[in-house]
Amino acid sequence: MILTLFAVCALTFFLMNVIPGGTAELVLKHTLVGLEDSVSKEQVNQISSRYNLDDPLYIQFFRWIKEAIVTGDIGTSYVFKKPVLYLLALRLPATIQLAGVSMVIAILAGVSMGIYSALKENRISDHILRIVTLFGVSMPGFWVALLLILIFSLKLKLAPVAGYGSLENLFLPAAALSLHSVAAVMRVTRISMLETLGQEYIRFAKAKGLPLWKIVSRHALKNAMLPVITVIGFQMGSLLGGAVVIEKIFAWPGIGSLLVDSISARDLPVVQGCVLAIVTMFLFVHFLVDMLYTHLDPRIRYG
Amino acid sequence: MENKNSPLIILLIILLTCAILATSGCSSPEENETDNAVSGMEVTSGLEGASQPEGGSDDNILVLGEMWNIESIDPVNGDGTLICEKAAITETLVGANEDFSLKPGLATSWEQLDENTWEFKLRNNVTFHDGSKMTAKEVKFTLEKVISENSKVASMLKVDSIEVVDNYTLKIKTKEINPILPGVLHYPDTAIISPSSYNEKGEFVKPVGTGPYKFESFDEQTRVLTVVKNENWWGGEVGLDKMILKGISDPNTRAMAIENGDVDFTVDVPYSETDRIDAIDGISVEKYKTPRVYKLDLNLKHEPLEDARVRQAMSYAINRSDIAENVLYNVGEAAAGPFLPTMVWANKSLKPYSQNLEKADELLAAAGWVDTDGDGIRDKDGKPLKFNLLTYSARPGLPPMAEAMAAQLREAGIGIETEVMEMGSIDDRREKGDWDLYLAAYNIAMVPDPEYILTNWYMTNGTDNTPGYSNPKVDALITEARKITDLKERYKKFNEVEAIVYDEQPMIIVAYYGCAIVKKDYVKGYVFDPTAHDYRINADMHIEK
Repeated sequence: MILTLFAVCALTFFLMNVIPGGTAELVLKHTLVGLEDSVSKEQVNQISSRYNLDDPLYIQFFRWIKEAIVTGDIGTSYVFKKPVLYLLALRLPATIQLAGVSMVIAILAGVSMGIYSALKENRISDHILRIVTLFGVSMPGFWVALLLILIFSLKLKLAPVAGYGSLENLFLPAAALSLHSVAAVMRVTRISMLETLGQEYIRFAKAKGLPLWKIVSRHALKNAMLPVITVIGFQMGSLLGGAVVIEKIFAWPGIGSLLVDSISARDLPVVQGCVLAIVTMFLFVHFLVDMLYTHLDPRIRYG
Repeated sequence: MENKNSPLIILLIILLTCAILATSGCSSPEENETDNAVSGMEVTSGLEGASQPEGGSDDNILVLGEMWNIESIDPVNGDGTLICEKAAITETLVGANEDFSLKPGLATSWEQLDENTWEFKLRNNVTFHDGSKMTAKEVKFTLEKVISENSKVASMLKVDSIEVVDNYTLKIKTKEINPILPGVLHYPDTAIISPSSYNEKGEFVKPVGTGPYKFESFDEQTRVLTVVKNENWWGGEVGLDKMILKGISDPNTRAMAIENGDVDFTVDVPYSETDRIDAIDGISVEKYKTPRVYKLDLNLKHEPLEDARVRQAMSYAINRSDIAENVLYNVGEAAAGPFLPTMVWANKSLKPYSQNLEKADELLAAAGWVDTDGDGIRDKDGKPLKFNLLTYSARPGLPPMAEAMAAQLREAGIGIETEVMEMGSIDDRREKGDWDLYLAAYNIAMVPDPEYILTNWYMTNGTDNTPGYSNPKVDALITEARKITDLKERYKKFNEVEAIVYDEQPMIIVAYYGCAIVKKDYVKGYVFDPTAHDYRINADMHIEK
């Protein structure tokens, strides 16, 4: 895990330095000078020397790593002039809140619709659900978000358009963000459930005369869950880092928009910090998924 | 499949199972943190939470949908425009009239004593929000702070030393003759703040200014800035009790927020939406020009563009009024030169180039560019007249404008390939010289004086002279004018420069940038300030229902 984090940091660092555009120049353009104005040589030199940007890349990188390990300080933002850890502490709660709620929606709605659809295989309700989810995976997030605002805010007056802070503000972004995951989880659940229901032991359970709900909840569900949990793990990862568009539309102060803004401003410490945070959360979720595997299927063991 | 139980019951049970699974299983840590986050939120943002749902329905509170996310509130470090113009917390020494001529601000008068010395007389009835009097000492403190922290302002001020003569008199010595000094002091980053804006360690805490509104709170998490009425404002009565500024960076969201009543005042909804929103009962949209232009830089180092006739032909090929109407939806106007005709120093005799394809054809033919192979693109010595056009998407008007111009230029037989890129990549291409045309939006009155723009754009090696334009006559005129402090004489020289570059077209100024102010009808007393960088909140604004 440490190795993964190190590799990710190194990769981000060098990629950020490979993309076109001078760091000092773009930092200046995003803070002091207007976006379009040219930057004078002295200003560039001033910024470069303040942040030691003229040193060779590997020296810059190892200085950063050393700082991070020895003092736990992962740098100060060039643009906001605040510690990166502080910025992350401001933004992470919003991201985790949004991703967490979206995931809960995705699991609840996705799994239940998946099972229902599997039980009704090839009937009307199954077809309807499948078409709806096909819609869900194919609709772009920003369009769904605007549509939700149009319906729930402007027409029904149920929620504010954008903002962050109260529970009302959470509904629309969570709904918009989770739509894709709901559909993905539902489709996997349906397929996995169908496969499980075709197994011998289910037929045996039926023959025993067990009621359907008992068969589904006791025997089929646990076995059908493995692939579903894998998908949930992946979805969680993308929800944590990939909510940029939703964050912009709903003015949601999450980590995704911070990351994208920092990339265009070449705010290297913040980019590093965001990537580090997202990767850590991602690894953590996958660790949990692995734990769940062994829990659900005792045959799986990690050496 | 047989099925004796009703599907509803099954669904219910499954839902329950999943709920248990979800709470005991993989997403539990997230949920716990979510709870923390929510309860943490209530502590920090009780205030906004209470007034948020109804927007500004409270008597005299304005909720403002600002166009950028509010990330910080440090007035000297690049957020001056927000704190000074939009939140009205701070004020500058020098003000500006509608025609961009200067007027007294916190300073009542100023005078150039000798070449490098300026004397400023300060208003003697101004108090900061912390109750202390504003004197020359605090002004010196602010200016020195800005010079040390903000390299852009420092490079424009060229200050050598600042001396406190008495409580209300300040002497500023410059390193070289600098007629634009008073103009620079209109720039919002130079707005005067009290030393109590910083703590003992010298760290910035909050903006303590002199303006009509006092800083109340800034929630870094929700990014909401709240200001309240300054009862003791030197300028008189202040209209609103409170103003809540929320950053909403998406134009579509801003439009829906005002439709929904979440905000009372906002700017720059998508240009294409302005007419629809204006038609809504209770909301009005007003379109203004702001001191910014859309301009097309031409790379004069590339052979065909070296020829002034080709550049003029391009200018004749572009239909500026069509672009203003159909791309900008009249949020903006066809432009003649780099300055708004309302600016006191603008050369008013210049009129925008209007589309004239015959003239373009004449000029191009004279330059040797004719379509010999009949493919619709002109050529000369076997080389087609083709250019790439770079632009970026941070300003929504640019990409569609690039497309529209490309189509118009193609009509005149000039092939254009548009490329929308990220800022860093554009800088890279420009540095390498790998570009022909570059469409951008430039601020033209960072400082209310023509010197800054004309020097940067048209002087040989000027900082923003991207085309690489060089004309000894222009250089001489600007150098002369810079030393003249008599405004009339000064502007006359600059008018000549404007006329020359109008003729030679090293850059094609396409349109003036616009600003769409969207407000509820119950917001009264708003007056647009054309000298503001985006928009300015004025003290007379109030709510009347």
